[in-house]
Amino acid sequence: MLALQLTITGLQTGALYALTAVGFSLIFGSTRIFHFAHGATFIIAAYLFYFVNVSGYGLILGVIAATAGAIIFGLLLNRFVYVPIQRDEGSFFTVFVASFGIGIVVQNVIGMVFGRGFVTVQTPLSFSVEIMDGLFVSPLAWISMLCAAIFFGILWCFLKYSQMGKALRALSDNPELVRVFGLNPRFISACAFTIGSILVVPAAIISGATSGLNPAMGHHVMLISLAATIVGGIGSVAGTLLAGLALGLAESLALLYVDSQWTEAVTFAILFLFIIVRPSGLLGRSAAH
Amino acid sequence: MEAYLLNLVILISLYSILGVTLNFIMGYAGIYSLAHAVFFGVGAYAGTFMAMHVNASIFVTLPVAMAAGAILSLILALPALRVRGEYFVAASLGLQVLAVTIFSEWKSVTGGIGGLIGIPPLNIAGFEVFKPSQFIFVTVGALIIILFVINRLVHSSFGRSLRAIRDSESAAAAFGKNVPLIKTISVVISSALTAVAGVLYASYLSFINVESFKLDTSVLIMAMVIIGGTGTQAGPIVGAALLLLLPSLISYLDFLPQTEIGSIQQIIYGLGMALLMIYRPGGIVGRKKQSETGKE
Repeated sequence: MLALQLTITGLQTGALYALTAVGFSLIFGSTRIFHFAHGATFIIAAYLFYFVNVSGYGLILGVIAATAGAIIFGLLLNRFVYVPIQRDEGSFFTVFVASFGIGIVVQNVIGMVFGRGFVTVQTPLSFSVEIMDGLFVSPLAWISMLCAAIFFGILWCFLKYSQMGKALRALSDNPELVRVFGLNPRFISACAFTIGSILVVPAAIISGATSGLNPAMGHHVMLISLAATIVGGIGSVAGTLLAGLALGLAESLALLYVDSQWTEAVTFAILFLFIIVRPSGLLGRSAAH
Repeated sequence: MEAYLLNLVILISLYSILGVTLNFIMGYAGIYSLAHAVFFGVGAYAGTFMAMHVNASIFVTLPVAMAAGAILSLILALPALRVRGEYFVAASLGLQVLAVTIFSEWKSVTGGIGGLIGIPPLNIAGFEVFKPSQFIFVTVGALIIILFVINRLVHSSFGRSLRAIRDSESAAAAFGKNVPLIKTISVVISSALTAVAGVLYASYLSFINVESFKLDTSVLIMAMVIIGGTGTQAGPIVGAALLLLLPSLISYLDFLPQTEIGSIQQIIYGLGMALLMIYRPGGIVGRKKQSETGKE
């Protein structure tokens, strides 16, 4: 029974990990920007939702504010940090450091405004229901999985059939050809940032209602996204999705064998093994070099 | 005031050692490690273990700590041989997270989250150094020796091979350089020297716990190197001095709330990192446009 309970919790966590990680993977795969501030997008969305909720404007306005905040942050970062750096053909490392710096700034500003402790959003859906003898599941678990399924369905159709989706995939293959073809790579990048930032929002909101928020969790979110992207294979949205789910499950099922302080270590042991044994990931195309 | 300045100089020279050793693998070998605090910690714990249970003489603690750092650094070398760039950043992050869990769980050696207290002072051939006014000579001396060693290495054929690998691994391999061996040696040297800083740090404070060896420390060291100037000799020292002076400078500004100083410091260096990367990727000491450093 414990294993079943942990599997459901793991799937819930995994669905949220997958959503966040796919956002990062999409941005990184198509634009090659090592968007380390993706974790910052997550906490901005989560705290905006929390703030609107606490102020008494309700859930729907909260969702709108969180989505708007995430998109605006992603686009501003792209326009004012990444584009200027890339103009000078900055290396991966230059982009990473700048992004990392912005992440630190966001974490501390939010810490100063909202405090560094944990906050949670109380919703009637947060409470667990006993659906079977000794099996407790909160409605939010089903909502997370449903959310993930819907978002991935839309994303898949978008990447497969729409003009912009095709352009995004083309950009990850060959930016030069995209330019020759007459498409504007900068516009496509902006689209990648918009979509990638939107994908963070459901995970941010649901985490706020289940496990609670704190300003330092951006790091954790980023680490998970990075791990899922690499384990899944850079450039592969499906791989990242699978890896995100798998990492969530592994973290949860590990509780059968080890204490809870080791769960993060389990994730990184998996990542470490993958990097050494199979750097191209589950479904990756290119080698790491 | 004098005690305050002494303490500051000691800390700056300790962090300069950390910066210089990180710069050695980051700036010259292109290995961007976010796990530098791990080897700082390994040195501190290994040195402390020897000092408390065997012998406090630096002729015992330093070699053991350096050996521990060198052996464990092979774990870092392993991914560095397989991948580079963003993959390696991820691998080193993983190592950092794992190490923090081990540091806080392996209670018999590390004392767990509470840490270890009552670490004996540094013992140099029977002479115990515990006054800050004496300790300052030890740390500054260690910094000078390490700078000298690294300077020699960088300007030897080994250093040229390292830079060749940083700029193009395949070209270096085509010239007959043993790329895996050179990379491994550089990581081992860097980690062994980092462990020295750990030993000095532990005996200076006579107290250590896992808080000093977390991801935040790795990030701080990396920020020091980057802000000072990656791949330059003076850069890491300038960066260390600047970032350690920052909190005290901020505390002179009365209008800022004292409780938020930590946050304000982090905001300043976060912004500093982002702005430098946009306008001056080579760092304060480095050249204006990046032609030598950091490029893949």
